[in-house]
Amino acid sequence: MEPAKMASPKSAPKDAQVMAQILKDMGITEYEPRVINQMLEFAYRYVTTILEDAKIYSSHAKKSSVDAEDVRLAIQCRTDQSFTSPPPRDFLLDIARQKNQTPLPLIKPYSGPRLPPDRYCLTAPNYRLKSLQKKVSSSAGRITVPRLSVGAVSSRPSTPTLGTPSAQTVAVSTKVGTPVSLTGQRFTVQIPSSQAAVKAATPTTPTVQNVLINPSLIGPKNILITTNMVSSQNPATEANPLKRKHDDDDDYDTL
Amino acid sequence: DRQTLVAVLQFLRRSNLRESEEILRREARLLGDDLGSSVATVASSSSGVAAVAAVPPGKGEVLLGIAGSLPGEGGRPLPAQFYKLLLYAHAFAVGGGVVVEDQPDVSAVLSAYNQQGDPALYEEYYSGLKHFIECSLDCHRAELSQLFYPLFVHMYLELVYNQHESEAKSFFERFHGDQECYYQDDLRVLSSLTKKEHMKGNETMLDFRTSKFVLRISRDSYQLLKRHLQEKQNNQIWNIVQEHLYIDIFDGMPRSKQQIDAMVGSLAGEAKREANKAKVFFGLLKEPEFDVPLDDEDEEGENEEGKPKKKKPKKDSVGSKSKKQDPNAPPQNRIPLPELKDSDKLDKVMNMKEAARRVRLGPECLPSICFYTFLNAYQGLTAVDITDDSSMIVGGFADSTVRVWSVTPKKLRSVKTAADLSLIDKESDDVLERIMDEKTASELKILYGHSGPVYGTSFSPDRNYLLSCSEDGTVRLWSLQTFTCLVGYKGHNYPVWDTQFSPYGYYFVSGGHDRVARLWATDHYQPLRIFAGHLADVTCTRFHPNSNYIATGSADRTIRLWDVLNGNCVRIFTGHKGPIHSLAFSPNGRFLATGATDGRVLLWDIGHGLMVGELKGHTDTIYALRFSRDGEILASGSMDNTVRLWDAVKAFEDLETDDFTTATGHINLPENSQDLLLGTYMTKSTPVIHLHFTRRNLLLAAGAYSSQ
Repeated sequence: MEPAKMASPKSAPKDAQVMAQILKDMGITEYEPRVINQMLEFAYRYVTTILEDAKIYSSHAKKSSVDAEDVRLAIQCRTDQSFTSPPPRDFLLDIARQKNQTPLPLIKPYSGPRLPPDRYCLTAPNYRLKSLQKKVSSSAGRITVPRLSVGAVSSRPSTPTLGTPSAQTVAVSTKVGTPVSLTGQRFTVQIPSSQAAVKAATPTTPTVQNVLINPSLIGPKNILITTNMVSSQNPATEANPLKRKHDDDDDYDTL
Repeated sequence: DRQTLVAVLQFLRRSNLRESEEILRREARLLGDDLGSSVATVASSSSGVAAVAAVPPGKGEVLLGIAGSLPGEGGRPLPAQFYKLLLYAHAFAVGGGVVVEDQPDVSAVLSAYNQQGDPALYEEYYSGLKHFIECSLDCHRAELSQLFYPLFVHMYLELVYNQHESEAKSFFERFHGDQECYYQDDLRVLSSLTKKEHMKGNETMLDFRTSKFVLRISRDSYQLLKRHLQEKQNNQIWNIVQEHLYIDIFDGMPRSKQQIDAMVGSLAGEAKREANKAKVFFGLLKEPEFDVPLDDEDEEGENEEGKPKKKKPKKDSVGSKSKKQDPNAPPQNRIPLPELKDSDKLDKVMNMKEAARRVRLGPECLPSICFYTFLNAYQGLTAVDITDDSSMIVGGFADSTVRVWSVTPKKLRSVKTAADLSLIDKESDDVLERIMDEKTASELKILYGHSGPVYGTSFSPDRNYLLSCSEDGTVRLWSLQTFTCLVGYKGHNYPVWDTQFSPYGYYFVSGGHDRVARLWATDHYQPLRIFAGHLADVTCTRFHPNSNYIATGSADRTIRLWDVLNGNCVRIFTGHKGPIHSLAFSPNGRFLATGATDGRVLLWDIGHGLMVGELKGHTDTIYALRFSRDGEILASGSMDNTVRLWDAVKAFEDLETDDFTTATGHINLPENSQDLLLGTYMTKSTPVIHLHFTRRNLLLAAGAYSSQ
């Protein structure tokens, strides 16, 4: 919008003329015409807020009418709330003195991108991957994802798939702590013993939560700790859409 | 004094502060004459001060209430001793460990005004002084006229603060026209302060009241003034002078009006001489010598010397000059600086190669200027920066976006997503190329994140990061490899007006509305240093080429130079008559050029702390200043749609730096702006807001087309 001169005094209402005069007194000569409207709106809103507050104070003090003291009090209270001003000079000098006393921290060499701790950065993912249902990924879509077990290890192939359990699953119960082979074969997936025998082959909702790992970056011998992987409780309910939704809720709850 | 005590007792009784009253009564009877200690002992008991402080409406106001109510009772002016007692009491309270909340308020109030005589007589006092000064000798008149402005403002503020509205108004009406023209903006602000409540929110005015206005006056003029003011009827003015003004006396010839006009104008008067006496290491850091890798890209026909040329360090012009330490350069490890990575070394090699092909500029060989006009910006372009190798340009806009363009034919590419990265072959030689995503390459990348207009942008020297600061109070760090925001640095809670990366990366400085500049490091979420001292917003912040000092320009019309190591202010430069909007250090680190809304470019010698030049010519605010790569030409861009080139070599040669000038701090500035002006280049209607010399000394300029 192009800045324009003041609105012609003849056609503008009295308020607008007063506002234009105020702007002129403060030395502002060039402004868009909508500035006057904005200023008037602000003035009206501010004054009504103050007067309403003043009415409340005066009725609280059981006075018959609003007087200057009420208005003064109303202004004071509102000022602390809405209009903050920068801290006073001695306060700034004080904190500056404190801050400037600590020596500059040494810089660690070769530390990669120098960023603050992750908590203070905006680099965390702000999304979660949805459950992969009916995902036609490269392998056969039967995926069992076991519940989290600490110390679990599973080696993944370089392709980003969670392989089928049916083929080479070695059902290991982590509670027993049976060591899992780390060799470069396909993979081993633990399944809690309760389900191991029965429904190993049943397609369960392959919920994958928080796949933070990039499978390609993990060599065959790497130890991978997968977290937050929820197993479907009842493999048989997979066909039931309601139950699936319940599982979804479960997924979110566990996180 | 007895009367004063009685008055205080009466007041305490009226306010129902029985305890304090008892204590005071007891003490006062105990120590008959020693008024000072009695009040002090009252103050040291926490109940005394706290009780006083606890009376509503506000803590600071009650103490003033003591001061103010006494005259109201008996019409007596408050003796200066009582005021001193209050100060003493306050000092005791502070020393005694009593936590008086709103302490800054209290101290501000206490150091402010007490009744200095009858308000109706203020006009008399002032006009009396005016008469005296106008009748004094010519040589003294210019110096003594410096008194008018601070005296006027302080007297007016005192009247307002003590709620003599009508007197204040008539005082203002009568005398505001006498002030110098360059104070008009301040006077306008002052005219809107008619009540005591108005003053509370205005931090700049509060700071003005509490800080001392500095005047530099020669000894002779000072004697004259002192003699006159110490006559009885002018005692009031003498009191004000003693309280609010700091008179820096120097021995020597009184200054002429011209000299004074060049140096005054700031909100706090001039700089005290000892403010500019600290040693400043303005030399440059030594470039590290390293083996320049021999590559066969030398297509300039030097191939035959390419291979056997093992003596590459000879080309390193900085390192070869002198092996001993430049006395004016800071030690290499004075402040910790990031180490040189391989990519930085490659960059330096490129820099040296380009430097070899650089055009030598001078009055006979002016640079060509390439102007980048931002179209369709609708007055929204608020900040521009260009990388050092001139490959990218960034614009910060009022709609809170930050837009990055590639200036070269090479498009902007971001790194591939994690999924795609898994598919590439990590062992290949060109893996750095393979990680870049060609599918989304474009000339323009838009960065969203701020919630207010973006007022400052800065590229990091290694071109990996971009900083932007905005009205929402945050400084954001963006990655130029993924074009996403990495960190938001929250510290200023008010608009941040400018930010800049250090020439070595890692550190950056920001300055904003809260009147401080902050030094940050990219890996600390809180600032490392806070530079507090300005009386008004910090509008411009720049690093010195050796990264050990930071220059800040402010709306209080001063430029301050701060030491990064300990946060001290080592230089104060006054002389501009408007807020400073552009700063530029010369490449050799010795000089500083500053531009402000008054259209003048001032040149400063950092080592001596003096003003060494004034370049007049622009008619509007100067938003861009830049020295050429070797410091021969100074380019300035302004809102008056022009770019001007000035001869920097000539401006800095033969400076008088004899003992007198360094002692007194002022030199005679020759009127040579016309001689130094090498060229004026006009754009049609595009204000110039950024200037940049490429490595080969081509001048790039940027601005947004404004159709008027």
